[in-house]
Amino acid sequence: MSERKTKLDKIRAFVDKMPSLSTTVSKVLEICSRTDTSPNDLNKVISLDPVLTGQVLKLINSAYYSLINKVTSLTRAIIMLGLNTVKNLALSTAVIRSVGQAKKSKALPIKEFWAHSIGVGVMAKLLAAERGMPLAEREEYFVAGLLHDLGKIPFGDEYTEVLTLAANTQEPLAQMEHRLMEIDHEEVGQMIASKWKLNAVITDAICHHHAPLLAAPENQALVATVALADFYICLFDIGFAGNRFPDEEQLAPMLELCALEWGAVINLSEAVDEEIKKAEIFLQI
Amino acid sequence: MIKVKFWGVRGSIPCPGPKTMKYGGNTACIELRFPEVNRHIIIDAGSGIRELANYMLANDLPKGPIATEIYLSHTHWDHIMGFPFFVPAYIPSTSIKVFGPVTYEDEPLEAVVGGQMKYRYFPVNMGELAGKIEYRRLKEDPFIDLGDGITLTTAIINHPITALGYRFTFRGAVFCTAYDTEPFRNLFVTDLNDPAYDELMALEGEEAAREQNQVLEGFFKGADLLVHDAQYTREEYFKGKVGWGHSPIEDAIATARSAGVKRLALFHHDPERSDDQLDAMTKIYCASRDTDPMQIFFAREGQEIIL
Repeated sequence: MSERKTKLDKIRAFVDKMPSLSTTVSKVLEICSRTDTSPNDLNKVISLDPVLTGQVLKLINSAYYSLINKVTSLTRAIIMLGLNTVKNLALSTAVIRSVGQAKKSKALPIKEFWAHSIGVGVMAKLLAAERGMPLAEREEYFVAGLLHDLGKIPFGDEYTEVLTLAANTQEPLAQMEHRLMEIDHEEVGQMIASKWKLNAVITDAICHHHAPLLAAPENQALVATVALADFYICLFDIGFAGNRFPDEEQLAPMLELCALEWGAVINLSEAVDEEIKKAEIFLQI
Repeated sequence: MIKVKFWGVRGSIPCPGPKTMKYGGNTACIELRFPEVNRHIIIDAGSGIRELANYMLANDLPKGPIATEIYLSHTHWDHIMGFPFFVPAYIPSTSIKVFGPVTYEDEPLEAVVGGQMKYRYFPVNMGELAGKIEYRRLKEDPFIDLGDGITLTTAIINHPITALGYRFTFRGAVFCTAYDTEPFRNLFVTDLNDPAYDELMALEGEEAAREQNQVLEGFFKGADLLVHDAQYTREEYFKGKVGWGHSPIEDAIATARSAGVKRLALFHHDPERSDDQLDAMTKIYCASRDTDPMQIFFAREGQEIIL
């Protein structure tokens, strides 16, 4: 029990000063340090970093808005608060988070993890379009997909063992995490989501993307969309977040919750690849 | 009853002189009195607050210690520059609560307002103010109970730093401010041929801007008096003032009209605007229509309105 407590304390301490992904920091600094930053570039550079996106939304919601008017879209934040405010938020967040935080995860190479997160975000957004979601709601799908695996970032080197065993046994990742570390990435995600005061739907996506039916009824469709996007991205090995073997039994119920056919998902493959490539070029990675 | 008095109506910088005798040259300061419950509120501490301070010393102090609340629309200099000259702050019996938004930075409101009271800028340091002064940062809030039947709603308005509009209600009377602000607009690339064009950003930017403008219209709804930024004409606005955070007069009027505002005070006059120009503009912009009972006027220093 006390060992679990020590582990939790360690994770909590990490969450308190979670670093931005090192793949994006230099680009954030480059774009935000310009005096003539374009709104498009600013939006893009923030939205390509799951940690930064979460942090910026957290700051916006806690510093400017009452709880009833939670902003989940960076586009809206930039329109409402203006370029400079959001730019300074991003800049200070990126700088604070990157200084002295050279933590390299052996288990999850950061570039691979980034590609996975972006992939799921992009796919969730495309699936939302496919499902006929109104434009204004699609960015939330992207953000939910982008942030869904945040709970894995605080894990230390012991995670390598979890991933190896999970790969060898093809046992679901969260189950293996629990067995070896007494906590899984959805639980750690919950800690981050509450720390960052993320809204209920994004929190549900972080906490229940392996079991969408556990999400609140009104959020299940979005969570299932993120889960489906995650399934696709894992199956086709786009980036890597530890899960090479998505649970195929989950596919049918996810498709049903999303009211989509698998064929429609597959048809989006080119669009996903293209968006990820664009992001890589933009970030020069 | 809310008694409203304008002590400063000018934007950007004080501009005293023969050309501004009629409308006044002091920067933003509005006083609200609630006589039935003996409450006193000041909105903004522009240079106009100095004359208000003199009035309060002569008329309020003899009746007892001064207690007031200052609501800052934002912390740009023209809206806080009068604070060091608000003499009641130097009297030990005074109590002042200062409220306002702070753009994201580490310093609290006290340090942002007090930054101008350092020896390099001003002979008195913030710490030397003898009155009891409390500072509280405000954010967007749909309902704040100020006690005595006074309520406040705040809304984010569109300015290069975080600025709040205030909507005070008291016994059925509604008083609303919206300055410094310009209409929300889509900041994202909308030209399909621009390589940076992104459909989702372009469309959502469009929708967000439209919705925020609607939110503000709702915020003004049915106000008995709306004090709105009107620094430029539309022609001036589109000649290089877009993004500066100030409204074209035409837009202020149109929004107030669709919000069913009863009286619209055009406010935050450009420092270059002379009395003659404002008189001429009154003829153009302030003629009331039969179908539209809204009264429109350019706010004038010293003007009093009872709601």
